[in-house]
Amino acid sequence: MSKTLKAVILELFTENGLDQYDLNIQESSGIVTLSGRVDRWDQVVLAGHLAGGLSGVKSLINRVNSPDSILPPDPVKPDPSSGTLTRADLVIIGAGVVGAALAREFSRFKIRIVLLDKESDVGCGASKANNGMVHSGIVQEPNSLRSRLNVRGNELYEEVCRDLDVPFKRCGLLTVVFREEDLFLLELTQARGEAAGIPVEVISRERALELEPSLSPDIKGAFLAPSTAMTSPYKLTVAYAENAVMNGVNLYLDTAVTGFHSENGRLKKVYTTRGAVETPFCINAAGIYADRVAAMAGKEEFTLHPRKGELILFDSAHLDNHPRIATGVLAIGQDPYTKGGGTMITTEGNPEWGPTAFEVPDREDTAVTADGLDRIIDKFSRLIPDYDPHKALITFFAGLRAATYTEDFHIRPSGQLNGLLNVAGIQSPGLAAVPAITEMVLDLAGDMGLKLEENPAFQPLRKSPPRFRVLNLKARKKLIGEDHRYGQIVCRCEQVTEGEVIAALNRPVPVTTLDAIKRRTRAGMGRCQGSFCLPRLALIMARELGVPIHKLTKSGPGSPLFSRPTKLEALTGEGDAR
Amino acid sequence: MKDRHAREAIVVIGGGPAGLAAALAAACKSRLKVILIERDRELGGILNQCVHDGFGNFVFGESLTGPEYASRFIEQLQSAPNLEVWDNTAVISLKGDRTLTAVNRSGIHRLKPAAIILAMGCRERSRYQAFLPGYRPAGVYTAGTVQRLVNMEGVMPGEKAVILGSGDIGLIMARRLTLEGAEVLGVYEIMNRPGGLTRNIVQCLEDFNIPLFLSHQATFLHGKKRLEGVSIAPYGSSGKPDLQKEKRIECDTLILSVGLIPENELSREAGIEIDPATAGPVVDQDMATGVEGIFACGNVVHVSDLVDHVTLSAQAAGRGAARYLSGRKPAGKALFKAGTNIARLVPQVLSLPVEDKVDLYIRVSEPAEYVRIAISSESGEIYNKKERIVRPPEMIHLQLEKELFQNTGGGDSLFVNLQGGEADGG
Repeated sequence: MSKTLKAVILELFTENGLDQYDLNIQESSGIVTLSGRVDRWDQVVLAGHLAGGLSGVKSLINRVNSPDSILPPDPVKPDPSSGTLTRADLVIIGAGVVGAALAREFSRFKIRIVLLDKESDVGCGASKANNGMVHSGIVQEPNSLRSRLNVRGNELYEEVCRDLDVPFKRCGLLTVVFREEDLFLLELTQARGEAAGIPVEVISRERALELEPSLSPDIKGAFLAPSTAMTSPYKLTVAYAENAVMNGVNLYLDTAVTGFHSENGRLKKVYTTRGAVETPFCINAAGIYADRVAAMAGKEEFTLHPRKGELILFDSAHLDNHPRIATGVLAIGQDPYTKGGGTMITTEGNPEWGPTAFEVPDREDTAVTADGLDRIIDKFSRLIPDYDPHKALITFFAGLRAATYTEDFHIRPSGQLNGLLNVAGIQSPGLAAVPAITEMVLDLAGDMGLKLEENPAFQPLRKSPPRFRVLNLKARKKLIGEDHRYGQIVCRCEQVTEGEVIAALNRPVPVTTLDAIKRRTRAGMGRCQGSFCLPRLALIMARELGVPIHKLTKSGPGSPLFSRPTKLEALTGEGDAR
Repeated sequence: MKDRHAREAIVVIGGGPAGLAAALAAACKSRLKVILIERDRELGGILNQCVHDGFGNFVFGESLTGPEYASRFIEQLQSAPNLEVWDNTAVISLKGDRTLTAVNRSGIHRLKPAAIILAMGCRERSRYQAFLPGYRPAGVYTAGTVQRLVNMEGVMPGEKAVILGSGDIGLIMARRLTLEGAEVLGVYEIMNRPGGLTRNIVQCLEDFNIPLFLSHQATFLHGKKRLEGVSIAPYGSSGKPDLQKEKRIECDTLILSVGLIPENELSREAGIEIDPATAGPVVDQDMATGVEGIFACGNVVHVSDLVDHVTLSAQAAGRGAARYLSGRKPAGKALFKAGTNIARLVPQVLSLPVEDKVDLYIRVSEPAEYVRIAISSESGEIYNKKERIVRPPEMIHLQLEKELFQNTGGGDSLFVNLQGGEADGG
C-alpha cells in the first residue's frame, strides 16, 4: 500500500514536470514527507498539493525548499529556568476566533483555563482579515471535515451570535454563470447541496436579475443558497474572548509559546516568553503557525502554507447599484486567483469584494498587491457593471489562510505528545465552522481524558457596549444623560463617541493599541480612514491608559505611532493648543 | 434647545474659515440669531493647525498665520449680539426640509432653522483612495493629520519621511518636519507638474534643499509593523508605473498630500445636487444650493487654493442667506458651463436678476500661457480677460459686473472657455 502511494506521487510529479528535481518522498501510515529542492515557491506548493490531494494521505509534511522560500523565524528557545507563570488545567495557544471560541466553550466547565496569544490583542491573524462570511458549505468537498463542520457551524451560528451580541445577517448567496457551457455547474452544485443537506435552488437568469437588478444582464443563470450569512469576524472573536474572560479564563496577550515540557510522553508544561504554564492539557490553535507549534512536541506532523486573500471595502454610503445578496461567479477555467471570491455587504453595511487566493511563501505577508486589486476590480466590475469601485473604495486589506496540503482541517491529538490537541489548518470556511469546531474539540478533549464537570456559574450571555450610531433618539438621549462623553463624537465618519472609546478601554479583554480600539468601536474604519480621529483617539488613549502619547502603538511592540514629542512639547510639556 | 428657538435662526455648520466668515456676514446682515456649530473643541478649523503664514494677503492685505487669521473673525464674532457658538458639537443628520440633528455633551438637539449654511470643509484623500498597495503599518499619515499632530498635539509622526503628492499641505509639512529635526527625503508627485502653489515649492522645498520628483508614483509600502520603506517608480507614458525603474526608499514615515475631498455626506442626505466636477453642491452666486434655504461655502463647495477665496465665498453665503430670509427669491436661473480647458467652475448657476457683482471661480485642466478667458451667451461674447499664466493649482477669480448679465434670461447657458495659449507642460 505505502509503495503504491509513493509510486502514485512520483507519477504525479512526473506529469507535472517536477521529476526534473530530485525530490524525496517518504511515507508511513498515510503520513507523507516530501523533501528536496525546486526552483520556485509555486513548485513547492504544487508538490505539496499533488501529494496532499491523494485520498490515502492523512497528513502532508512538505520540507521541499526553493530559493524564494521564506522560513518562519526560528522560535525563541524555551527557557526552562524562567520560572512558572501560572498553572492551568488547560492551555489554549492562540486567541484567534478558534482559540477564543474554545476558551469560551471550555469555560462552561470547572477547569482553570489559560488562553495565550503572541500579539497585543485577540484575533490579530486571519480572524481580523477575512470577509466575515458564514458559508453554507456548498463549495466544500463532500465528506471532508471542512464540509461537515461548515454545515453544522452554519446551523449553530445564529444562536452563538445572539448569545454574544454579535451582528449576524443571513443574506444568502447568489452565484451566477456567464456562459451557457457553465450552466451545468449550477445543477452540479444543487445536487451536491442536496447530498449534504444544504438548501440550494437553481434559478433562471430572469429570476436572478429580479432579485438583484444590479447584476450584469450578461449572466446566463444562477443558484441561490439562502443559508449563507455574514458576521463580523473580529467582533465575534472579541465577544468570545470577553465572554471567556467573564467566565474565568486567564488571558495572556503578548505571550508567545516557545516549547513543551513532557515527562514519559505526557505534557507537563507549556513554555512561553513569560515563563512556564504548568498544565496537563493544551490545545494548539496557533493559526498560521500551528504546524510550528505542533512540531515543538518533537517533529513536524503537518505543514501549513499561507494562502493570501485580499479584500476591498467600500463606503457604506455607496450602496446603490450593489447587490444586497452575496454574490459569486462559477466558471470552468476561471482565474484561479479570484475563484473563491465574491461580493457581499458586511454586517456594518460596507460593500466588500474579494478575497483573492495567492500562495505566498511568507507567513507574515499580509501586503495587498496591485495585481490583486486589479483582478478583484476587473472581475466584479463585470458582475456589477454600474458600480464605480474607484469612487466608492475606502480601504483594502489581506489575510492569510492557514491551509494544510491536504486542504482540510487538521483537528487531531498530537501523534507524539499526550495531552496536546492540534486544531490546525482552519482555513476557509473556518469562520463558519467555529461553533462546530468547538463541539468536536469538546468531544476529543473528553476522549483525551480532560475531566469536564459543569460550571453552574457559567454565564453564556455577553452584551456589546452601546454604540451611539445605531441607537434610536431616546436611547441616545438616555446614554448621554448617564455619561455625557457619549455626546462627544471623536470619529466623524462612523459617528463614534468618546464614551464608546472609553468603554472599549475598560472591557474584560484589555485594549492597548489603536487597532484594537478600531476593532472595538469602528473609529478609523470609515471613509477618511482615521485621518480625522487619529489625533483625538491618541489623546484619549494616552490619558486613559496613563502613557505619554508618543509611546502609543498601532498594533503592539514594534509599531510605534509616533517618534517623540516636538521641540516645543519637549520644552514645555504641553502642546500650544491645550 | 427648543425647536421654536431655532426656527428663528440661521445655523452655520462648521466653524472653520468658511463657517466663521459666513456666520459673521449672516450676523451682520440679519437680525436673526446665528448659531455656529463646530465639532472641535474650539473655532478655527484647520486654521488652528496652520502655524505658517500666508493667510489673508487678499482679504486683510497682510500675511497672517492660520490662528491669527481665525482670530480676526472670532474677535468680531464675540461682539455680535445675535451669535451663539456651539463647540464640541457634531451635526449628524440633515434633511431636505432643513431639519438637522446635532449632538454634544448636553444631549441631542433637533433644529429646524430658517436657513442653513454648510461649511464642513473637506477631508484628505487616504492612501487607500490613492490605490497605494502594500502593507498597512504605522507611520502612514495624511499631511493634515501630521500637521495637527505636530502643531497642536506636540508629537512627531516619525524621523525619516517621504512625502507623496505635492499638494500645499504636504509641502508645508516638508518644511515643518525639517524644522523639527526630522529628515525629509523628498516629495514625489505623480503628475508632471506640482500640485501646490509656486510660493510653497520655493519656500518649503527649494529653501530647504528638499528634492521634488515629478512624474513619480509610489508603488508599494513596506514594513509589517512600522513603515520601513516605500517603493517608487517613474510614472510611465502607458499610464502605469515603470516597474523596471522601481526603487525602494528607506523611511519610517509616509505623508500623503494626494488630494482633498469636499465633505458632503450631510449635503447628500439633504438631497442637495452635487456637481461631479467639484464634488460639492451646485450653487448660485449667493451660494444657495438647489434645496431651499440651504447655502454652502468654502471647501465644501470646491477645494480652494487660498483661504481668502474661502472667506469671500462664505461672506457671499452669509449675505445670501440673509437676503433669502428677507423674502427675495430669484426670478430665473441661467447656467455657467465649463468649456475648453476649464476643469470646474463655481457658481454653476446664475440666479436672475443679478443684483451684485458675481464672483466666478475657475480651475483650468492644463497649465497654459497667454490665454484669453471668455464668457459667451448664445448671442455672443459678453466678457473676456487675458491671463499670462494659468495653472491648475491656482484658482482664477473673476469679478463680473452685474451689467454684463443685462440680457441674460432664465434658462440661458453661459459658456466659459479658455482660448489660445500654449501648453506650458510644467
